Amino acid sequence: MTQSRAIPTTAAALALALGSAITLIDTAVAAESGEMEKCFGVALKGKNDCAAGPGTSCAGSSKVDHQANAWKLVPKGTCEQTASTTSPTGYGQLMAFKAQ
Amino acid sequence: MSAAAAFFAPFAAGLRAPNRPAPPGLTTWNDSDPGVRFDVYRNNVVVSLVGALADGFPVTQSLVGEDFFLWMAREYILAEPPRSPVLAEYGDSFPAFIAGFEPAAGLAYLPDVARLERLRVRAYHAADAEAVSTALLTSQLQRPEQLPGTRLQLHPSLSLLSSSHAVVSIWAAHQGAAPPRALEVERQESALVLRSGDDVLILPTPPATAAFLSLLKTGATLGDATAAALESAPDFDLTQCLASLIRHGAIVAWQPPGDPAP
Repeated sequence: MTQSRAIPTTAAALALALGSAITLIDTAVAAESGEMEKCFGVALKGKNDCAAGPGTSCAGSSKVDHQANAWKLVPKGTCEQTASTTSPTGYGQLMAFKAQ
Repeated sequence: MSAAAAFFAPFAAGLRAPNRPAPPGLTTWNDSDPGVRFDVYRNNVVVSLVGALADGFPVTQSLVGEDFFLWMAREYILAEPPRSPVLAEYGDSFPAFIAGFEPAAGLAYLPDVARLERLRVRAYHAADAEAVSTALLTSQLQRPEQLPGTRLQLHPSLSLLSSSHAVVSIWAAHQGAAPPRALEVERQESALVLRSGDDVLILPTPPATAAFLSLLKTGATLGDATAAALESAPDFDLTQCLASLIRHGAIVAWQPPGDPAP
């Protein structure tokens, strides 16, 4: 126990962690530059980012949870993994759809 | 008692007591009833403070509903009126008040959700501080023997909350994204709150990382804080923790041993 605790706090281990962290940042910055996608059918009532049909004032105008023609910006790749009660697929969609 | 104090003491007391007559010495410019004018003023004071609390504690309000929140906020305002003219500072003691507010006792997680929201407001108004450069961090790798004794100064907006309830998940569920499929309220969660640019972030944080950062904040060395974190959780990930701090500009000074504090 004492030994396993002593090892990671040595100068070398700390240097390794710091060095890896700096490397991680350089790669993460490239991946992080705002990769978002419009996701239909996942926004809660009044929480959509935009598009909710005629006669509305867009953002925040959806009337029901998971409204099929209202979208929300979500991190790229997560839309079709987010549960939607209105969607025929059961998940959010990248285009407006007809609620089931 | 000075003349001003003789006027303001009953005036201030009257603001918190709806059933009392208007304080003495009030006059109106158009001969209307000072009592009615004072009632309006008293109402504005309470309503504006309730509004300020509602703005600062939106999730708390969502959890209990508007009517309950309004009542709880009123009770708080009467019990603990502002001590500072800075409205952003009002509400620091609201979470503790909620913890002692009997009608809200059924929601055991409510005080910690309020604490999290308070830290968020505090982080938003915290001082600016420039992050250390990646170049400076990289240069530290040339003197690894100094790392265990190094102290880090973290961004003034950075704070931590450890709760015995799933407060980060509860808070996140109220941010407009899809509701979580299942939420285990009794799960322990820790949060790291900090401002990155103009955005206040609430990041779910493993307990060991929260403990590590708390130690750094109180001036522990990198070596000591790491050892303590590893003792509480052998899977403590120092690399991820440092990467997260660097990415969000949360390290504002890097003090090798022997260097005078800036």
